[in-house]
Amino acid sequence: MAKPLLGFAAEFGTPDALLKATKRARADGFCCIDGFSPFPVEGMSGALALERDHRIGWIAVAGGLFGFVGMLVIQLLTNVDYPIEVGGRPLFAYPAFFVVDFELMILCAVLFAVAGMLIINRLPKLHDPIFNTPRFGLASEDKFFLYIDSSDPKFDPDKTRDYLGSLGALSVEPVQP
Amino acid sequence: MSSKTPTIPLSETYRDITREVARVPLHMPARIPWLIAFILSLALLSLFLASATYLFVRGVGIWGVNIPVNWGFAIFLYVWWLGLGHAGTLISAMLLLMGQDWRNSLNRFAEAMTVCAVICAGMEPILHLGRPWFFYWMFPYPATMGVWPQFRSPLEWDIWAVLTYLIVSILFWYIGLVPDLATVRDRAKKRGWQVFFGIFALGWRGSARHWAVWQKTYRTIAAIAVPLVISVHSEVSLLFAAGQIPGWHSTVFPPYFVLGAAFSGFAVVAMIAIVMRHTFELKDIVTERHLDLLAKVLLAMGLMTAYGYFFEIFDAFYSGEMREIATVHDRFSGYYAWSYWGAVFCNFVPLQALWLDRVRRSPVLLFMISTSVVVGMWLERYMLIVTSLYKDFLPSSFGYYHGSFWDWSTYIGMLGLFMTPFLLFVRFLPSISIFEDKEVLAREKEEAKRG
Repeated sequence: MAKPLLGFAAEFGTPDALLKATKRARADGFCCIDGFSPFPVEGMSGALALERDHRIGWIAVAGGLFGFVGMLVIQLLTNVDYPIEVGGRPLFAYPAFFVVDFELMILCAVLFAVAGMLIINRLPKLHDPIFNTPRFGLASEDKFFLYIDSSDPKFDPDKTRDYLGSLGALSVEPVQP
Repeated sequence: MSSKTPTIPLSETYRDITREVARVPLHMPARIPWLIAFILSLALLSLFLASATYLFVRGVGIWGVNIPVNWGFAIFLYVWWLGLGHAGTLISAMLLLMGQDWRNSLNRFAEAMTVCAVICAGMEPILHLGRPWFFYWMFPYPATMGVWPQFRSPLEWDIWAVLTYLIVSILFWYIGLVPDLATVRDRAKKRGWQVFFGIFALGWRGSARHWAVWQKTYRTIAAIAVPLVISVHSEVSLLFAAGQIPGWHSTVFPPYFVLGAAFSGFAVVAMIAIVMRHTFELKDIVTERHLDLLAKVLLAMGLMTAYGYFFEIFDAFYSGEMREIATVHDRFSGYYAWSYWGAVFCNFVPLQALWLDRVRRSPVLLFMISTSVVVGMWLERYMLIVTSLYKDFLPSSFGYYHGSFWDWSTYIGMLGLFMTPFLLFVRFLPSISIFEDKEVLAREKEEAKRG
């Protein structure tokens, strides 16, 4: 039995061609599509309607708050648990505490942002069916791929292939597990 | 705009960039020079291990530190190493946010340099602890002794600043490296390399959806890293400025330290760029324009550091404090005047040649000036610590300081601790950002098309 078809990967030669093809495909009603490129192509996130995704920013803010408040609580509690009185200086010395709170704010914001990036992108995922496509290795060199997934409502094994060809793709290859 | 020389020559293709950078880990072009450098750095590393072992057996008494100069090599080198590292973060983060394309050929190895320098910096205070195996007492953990760290002390701030800086530097560097690891993975022919790069590339496949999230993350970390750099070295300066010692107790210290740090760091980046460009024949990727821009930044940083020198003197005289003024006189003409004038000379005199376009574009001259700056900043850190401590308020407690054999052997050995991981990085990982240079090239081609 033939392997199930997961989608088509169409190859383009320049970032511009990929961007135009992506915009066309979106305009023609395809939604389960993705681009693959050796570097972030300017405008791709707009073409795929991703630019309103601000999750990473909010994750970093949450991390920062967690680090700042968490460390401040530790500082306050340790000073309650074992008060060190030095010349009548305040036990809760916020200006002095602030330095470490600030560092922890940065540390946790970065840790959260990195973890958030990996979770949103579902990485690490060492193998993906698209790697089986023979020419896909060039997606990290100088070729640009537009991928239409078979779960797309407009997907049709024959028509989509021709459609990608009509967008000016250099090659169209089926992606199989 | 059109008269601007392109950062990456327009004759390059995306494939050329991949080839030029990815061949370094996959088909090392300069095996023999690399091997010689690696053996040398391993020899230095063993010197460091021997010195550290002897230190742990005998204690800090083997060093030259004593009362009154109880902070010697370990502390001023800590400041020096950490300072070298700061340029890496500034190049990567600040210039990224300002959209300076030329950083893309330099940021990767500058960040790696940062990580190596911060490791060395972190070792110094731990070695200086006397009982280094108790360094974890700095962390708030429920100890059986019932005590907690003193969060009001700059010494406690220190460990958090350095730890944060180390972790953030490593993450920033690694997140930027992942797409390039994927590129090298796809180019690798041997199974071993494919597995090695495959695992560390995390299965990156250049998906536009991934890029979108990745870019936001990278920029977010960059935006956070800039204030982090400034806070870390400001905090280091507070180790000194928070004390009452004449010559330290000044509000000029935080900016003075941060600028000096960036100054020495940019010098190291220029040195590494010149050596790598020459050894691995990367002249189309690290171009003369890069050297020119690095030299300009170096000159600007140097002039700002010079302002710190002026202001430090002004500050002392303006305070009217007897001991502050006496410390300035000691620096000018005291026992350690060589360190002061050496720092002034090495930092600022050869630097002035960088006003000339010809010097900025000459790798040899730029390398020599950068070396002079690194030495100058070394002398400055020495001067700041020793000249302040050797004479404090009471003449009865004046005393001299000399680095002992073990001070020097630890320091020289530590150069191995810096070089060994850096050389491994250069050998096994893409040491110049492949995809970011392709981005620059794509943008340049776009502009060229529009005219």
